[in-house]
Amino acid sequence: MGVFVFLPLVLPLTAWPIARLAEQHLHPRTATRLLTGVAAVMALCSTVSLALVMVVGTAQLPGNPLPDGWSDPQVREAVPYDEVAGKAAIPALCAVLVACVRALWRHGRVRRRAQRALAGLPDTSVAVLPDRVPYAYALPGGRRDRVVVTTALLERLESAERRALFAHERAHLTARHHRFLLTVRLAALANPFLRPLRTAVAYTAERWADEEAAREVGSRRVVARAIGKAALVSRGTPVPTLAGLAGPGPVPRRVAALLGPAPAARAWPSVFRSVFTSVGLAAWAAAAGTAVSAMSSANSAVTMFFVLQAAAPL
Amino acid sequence: MTDHPRPRRRGQGELEALVLAALREAQAPETAGGVQERLGGDLAYTTVITILTRLLEKGAVSRERAGRSFTWTAAADQAGLAARKMRKVLDAESDREAVLASFVTGLGPADERLLRELLGQAHGPGDD
Repeated sequence: MGVFVFLPLVLPLTAWPIARLAEQHLHPRTATRLLTGVAAVMALCSTVSLALVMVVGTAQLPGNPLPDGWSDPQVREAVPYDEVAGKAAIPALCAVLVACVRALWRHGRVRRRAQRALAGLPDTSVAVLPDRVPYAYALPGGRRDRVVVTTALLERLESAERRALFAHERAHLTARHHRFLLTVRLAALANPFLRPLRTAVAYTAERWADEEAAREVGSRRVVARAIGKAALVSRGTPVPTLAGLAGPGPVPRRVAALLGPAPAARAWPSVFRSVFTSVGLAAWAAAAGTAVSAMSSANSAVTMFFVLQAAAPL
Repeated sequence: MTDHPRPRRRGQGELEALVLAALREAQAPETAGGVQERLGGDLAYTTVITILTRLLEKGAVSRERAGRSFTWTAAADQAGLAARKMRKVLDAESDREAVLASFVTGLGPADERLLRELLGQAHGPGDD
């Protein structure tokens, strides 16, 4: 097995091309689900292998409560550089756990606070707040899901565009997009190599809601205009990191996508059918990479588990 | 009982309007004592409480427990209050995007130019 134990830690890198391809060629709904699933599996495998490296590498450190059998020579062979790697794995695993718990806690806190802020208002599905700052949010949970929007934003939109805005936010709520976002956020914390997947899912979830809104309003142009206007009036908000470096930011890309044709719901097979185009080749390469990385992650995790079980009479 | 004699007897409606106006003037939730002060000490504390309670029954104000007493808010200002609270929540959270999927994110200068071009297209012929 040897160096394969460490594969799950670096193999998330192979998901990068698939993230880009899915973003561009898949229906946003499919892309969001696929990328979130890939991110979750890879994060889990990466964390499991980190835990196993730590257990084997440090089982013989004096004073630790683990059975010595866990670090038998036979088991240690499975992990090259076991002592160094094992010791390095301790802070890494702790950092992952702390970061994830913190993220979960903050997630709950923001939602609770936002609910509390709206507590005095009538129990309606849309909360319109008189505020000079234009913003709109989908706020899940509590007694009911709510769309929060300020008067400053509504004033600048025409009635069809307002309908588009509400449809977009409702789509976030009905499809439970916050769960996808939370999953990829935790995955990115578990393994920093998964960060591009988080960015990709944040974008495809917005696109998903855009497409739903376009369907409900019956016009892609109206949704595009609503997004464009809203973005131009809320310019003051901080630009997400690296947005300037990565070509056009998410908002112009969303608008451009809406001004183009609607994405086909089944674009996946057609990408693979075009084997001889560069897109087809890249799709196959990315798919193979992801499959191998997921399999070897799972494989080494399972193998490590059995090795340890054999070494330690549980 | 503790009502001091007033120069002129005012109707209930007038008093309620006075208290409500004082409450609206206060940008934040106000205690009954604070309302009394805003009215220039013209009314007795118990009177203020009585009027506030009556307004509460009518749904014109709301109250929230703050320590041992209540703070009062004019109902018409509930939305404004919620807006202020929400802004506080949003300003405090640096990575709120992860929790609340926002309609749009910020734009860089290049994005802005691109977006204006695209919007020009969106307003163009063939508009539906």
